[in-house]
Amino acid sequence: MIERMELLRALAARRTGEIVVMTMTTTLQWPLVSQHELDFDFLAFGMGHAGDFGLGLAMARPERKTIVLKGDGGLLMCLGSLATMGRYAPENLLVLLMENRTYEMVGAQLLPPRVDFAALARAAGVEGGGATGRGKVERITTIEDFENALPRLLTEAGPHFVVLPVSNKEPLPPINHKDHAGRIRNLRKGLGIE
Amino acid sequence: MNKATEIKTNQNTGAPGGQGASAAKTLAAIKTLGFTHVLMIPDSESRLLYQAIGEDPSLRLITPCREGESIAIAAGLWTGGCKPLIVIQITGVMEAGDALRGCGLGPKVPLRLMVGWRGYGGAQAGRLPIDSAYTYTKPLLDAWGIPHWSLMGNEDIPMLELMDRKAAETSSPAAVVTGYAFRP
Repeated sequence: MIERMELLRALAARRTGEIVVMTMTTTLQWPLVSQHELDFDFLAFGMGHAGDFGLGLAMARPERKTIVLKGDGGLLMCLGSLATMGRYAPENLLVLLMENRTYEMVGAQLLPPRVDFAALARAAGVEGGGATGRGKVERITTIEDFENALPRLLTEAGPHFVVLPVSNKEPLPPINHKDHAGRIRNLRKGLGIE
Repeated sequence: MNKATEIKTNQNTGAPGGQGASAAKTLAAIKTLGFTHVLMIPDSESRLLYQAIGEDPSLRLITPCREGESIAIAAGLWTGGCKPLIVIQITGVMEAGDALRGCGLGPKVPLRLMVGWRGYGGAQAGRLPIDSAYTYTKPLLDAWGIPHWSLMGNEDIPMLELMDRKAAETSSPAAVVTGYAFRP
């Protein structure tokens, strides 16, 4: 099990010019470790669709890695997106699935207990996907292993789908999310489009 | 009277006579308007357009598993600088409601939609709709405040340009509505 804030700190320390799309509880904690023009807060943009939005971004900007921080509850809302990811499999997409087995944001209600998210991603074609057939699915369970894997995950061709069992001991900052149109415009400015 | 309703009164509202646009001519218009990607889950009425787009190397055809994905992927593509078109049956719009709200209407992303009006052709021929999709199509688009134009035959293909321009001007979703199966 990985403490989520440690994971986010490790990622922020290594991250350079990658787009980071986050949703649900990571939208509350990622800003504590990162203030970057290519951070994108997907909260309230559509339940379960952060990975789909990231897929579109990755296809639009192949020169840059897109990282998606999403939860397992959100993935269950849109499981078909794994098959779409496996089909189009952009090499610059890195999905970090925060597996806490609950709908944490709304009260930590339990998810179906026996779902194997890595197996689902493999079965959906993410493993071996991409133009080079190098799509990878993996499960990383310690912060040390995650820190060791980060240089590879941030540089090698993917797509990568990484399941990360996480817990959280930190108090969550309050939700204070506004200006949905502004968020999109800021990201486009950061990408040099507007 | 809201903007969408105002626009609707100034254009072809889909009176009988269209009988379906040519897939090849519609594809040509899509290319002329500079679309880079088409997100589309095929249905029986759009299958010829799906085939034509899939065979054209200048467009990237993306086939998600469900329509909410289409909306969110399209929003990501647009945010990244591309110009996607979403071809979607009205039942898919219904499924994708939260994505359309969250990735289009709320953040003012100019999503361009080609919406299939299921049951329209049959209704025009005097047959009872097979389900409620026919009944809810225009009220649903109006309720969302999505301006829409009818594309019922080749003579309506220029409506694509009006839809495209409106989406750009308002930076919000806009749609054409197709009521018949595409022809070759």
